[in-house]
Amino acid sequence: MNCVLEGNCVKAFGRAIHALSRIGEELWLDPMVGGPAASLLVLQLALRSVNAAHSAYACFLFSQLFFQHYSLGSASEQGNETVKCKLVIKSLLPLFRCLTSIERNVERCQISISTPSDRVTIQFFCRHGITKTHSFRFQESEALQAVFASHSCPNVLQAPASRLLSDTVMHFPVSQEEITLSVTPLRLSLRNHYERGNVHMKIINTEISLPPDEFDAFQVGVDSDITFCLKELRGLLSFAESHCLPVSVHFGAAGKPVCFSVDNLVLKATVVLATLIDSESGGPSQSPETPAPTTPRCAGAAAPPVGSYDAGNSKPQDFPAVTELIASSQGSPIINPPALGQPCAAISASTMICSLLFRALSSEQEDAADDLPVLASRSDTEEEED
Amino acid sequence: MCLHFSTTMPLSTQSQAQDEQYVLVASLDNARNLSNILKAISFKDHAIFSATTNGLKVTVEDSKCLQANAFIQAEIFQEFTIREDLVGFQVTLTVLLDCLNIFGGSTAPGVSTALRMCYRGYGYPLTLFLEEGGVVTVCKIKTQEPEEPIDFEFCSSNVTNKVILQSESLKEAFSELDMTSEVLQITMSPSQPYFRLSTFGNSGNAHYDYPKDSDMMELFRCTKTQINRYKMSLLKPTTKALALSCKVSVRIDNRGILSLQYMVRNDDGQICFVEYYCCPDEETDDE
Repeated sequence: MNCVLEGNCVKAFGRAIHALSRIGEELWLDPMVGGPAASLLVLQLALRSVNAAHSAYACFLFSQLFFQHYSLGSASEQGNETVKCKLVIKSLLPLFRCLTSIERNVERCQISISTPSDRVTIQFFCRHGITKTHSFRFQESEALQAVFASHSCPNVLQAPASRLLSDTVMHFPVSQEEITLSVTPLRLSLRNHYERGNVHMKIINTEISLPPDEFDAFQVGVDSDITFCLKELRGLLSFAESHCLPVSVHFGAAGKPVCFSVDNLVLKATVVLATLIDSESGGPSQSPETPAPTTPRCAGAAAPPVGSYDAGNSKPQDFPAVTELIASSQGSPIINPPALGQPCAAISASTMICSLLFRALSSEQEDAADDLPVLASRSDTEEEED
Repeated sequence: MCLHFSTTMPLSTQSQAQDEQYVLVASLDNARNLSNILKAISFKDHAIFSATTNGLKVTVEDSKCLQANAFIQAEIFQEFTIREDLVGFQVTLTVLLDCLNIFGGSTAPGVSTALRMCYRGYGYPLTLFLEEGGVVTVCKIKTQEPEEPIDFEFCSSNVTNKVILQSESLKEAFSELDMTSEVLQITMSPSQPYFRLSTFGNSGNAHYDYPKDSDMMELFRCTKTQINRYKMSLLKPTTKALALSCKVSVRIDNRGILSLQYMVRNDDGQICFVEYYCCPDEETDDE
């Protein structure tokens, strides 16, 4: 694969890398052939990242039009021979660290993947004839793609191409891990989510409500409260803000993943986040088999999909409203929430994050997927989001 | 070092008789014209001062492979009196810099610290009189026997390759250098890639290429292809001098020894020079 980006697009590409770095530590550089109709060969470049717990996924899909030049090189255009490379984001980030300097100095950027030497080369052609060439070893690896059928989501919102969502989440401190988004047909609210057991007295609770008319689209099929990781979303929101793009949100009931996406003529960016099933009672339970993760807490409980979710029970669970454990001055009784920390095998799915189900991009793996309970399904001919 | 504080005694009223006991007296209306340039070479604790009628040379060395020299010509000083052919001493550079910045080093316009630096000779401390806004501080810094600076025997006639670049183009490269690379490789050649800086880090390689016809390239005189590697830990400190400079000359001689010369403009627009010499990393051969 060989592509050339000119000036402004280099900055957009850099911003995509910044956003992806909020999700995971590795990035898949995935040249692909895709498009709605099999006969139309549309070349695309996908950048994907997944967090360690598989509870957050981001994909930036750049169409051929984004590039000054894009070719799959000597590989067959059918895409069977295209290389899927996995890079460490930490190596790429310094190249795009200072976007203002890129804007000032970089005239053109060339990215190429070389299979014989297992290297990705990123070359910046700068002002004054200066050239910067960086080359990285990559690991050949099938990219993961989150399975998410946005067309079957009962709730669809579209925030306008203003700073609506960015300005809203700005009210939550940078350290805030998770937030809860609640919708009814009459309003949307965002509030911070804290782990049960934290000293409630010391937490500042923030809740922001927005009326439907703030949104370009506000379709609420099912009243729901979803809790997801805010930190992982911030990257996409900055990207949307800097490109003045509206943000679409597709989701359903608690427990199902939520998808945030932006698109314009030349690119599409998507972030899919797992949500807590029981969004009101606090943190997820830890699966004893899962090693302690180093990623944010909200990703901490993801267990492999096998055996942890009853495929037959695809409806959201009902839970009693749990009040906060603050002793009332009036002497009212304290309600205890359901017990946490159940072993993986006996899980009643009461307080667990459903990890996103991932399917490798190659179709040969479908038989394996059939045996696993599916969080969301995808039809054969569609991309992960429409 | 000890400090004395006194008020209302501007430096200029010191008596002539006192001056005669000093072998070196150097005065600056703005101490920053000395402190800024010394900061650029302050990668080690000790500095060797060497004064002649031409001016002041301050030398800092590291592990016998790296040497930095800052030159402040006599003309930069408002007063520069020397009673011997060569006056040399060694002081702790960090202490000297602390004293020069004793009034807080603020950059308020029109406010500067005046400096009068006096040295009586061997065995005596270096005395600094610093004044700002009518307040005078006297600092006496212990001096040590000056070590003999290394003579790299670098001479122009042995220079194989030389370029002069505008510092602006190198500043970004140096700030981005992959610090996981143990070496910085410099390629100089009459043919492509002309002038190249390369790093070999944990995640991959990087090359910064400056073509000979770049408008950042003020002079390009390369006679033979040379590729040399220098320890990154030795060259990274040169970034400070690069940051202050407007132009830099890069020369490599036939032994692979690197000479970097930085042209630095001080607060008053006067030119001073900082130069670095660095030995190549022994593991590699010179091509």
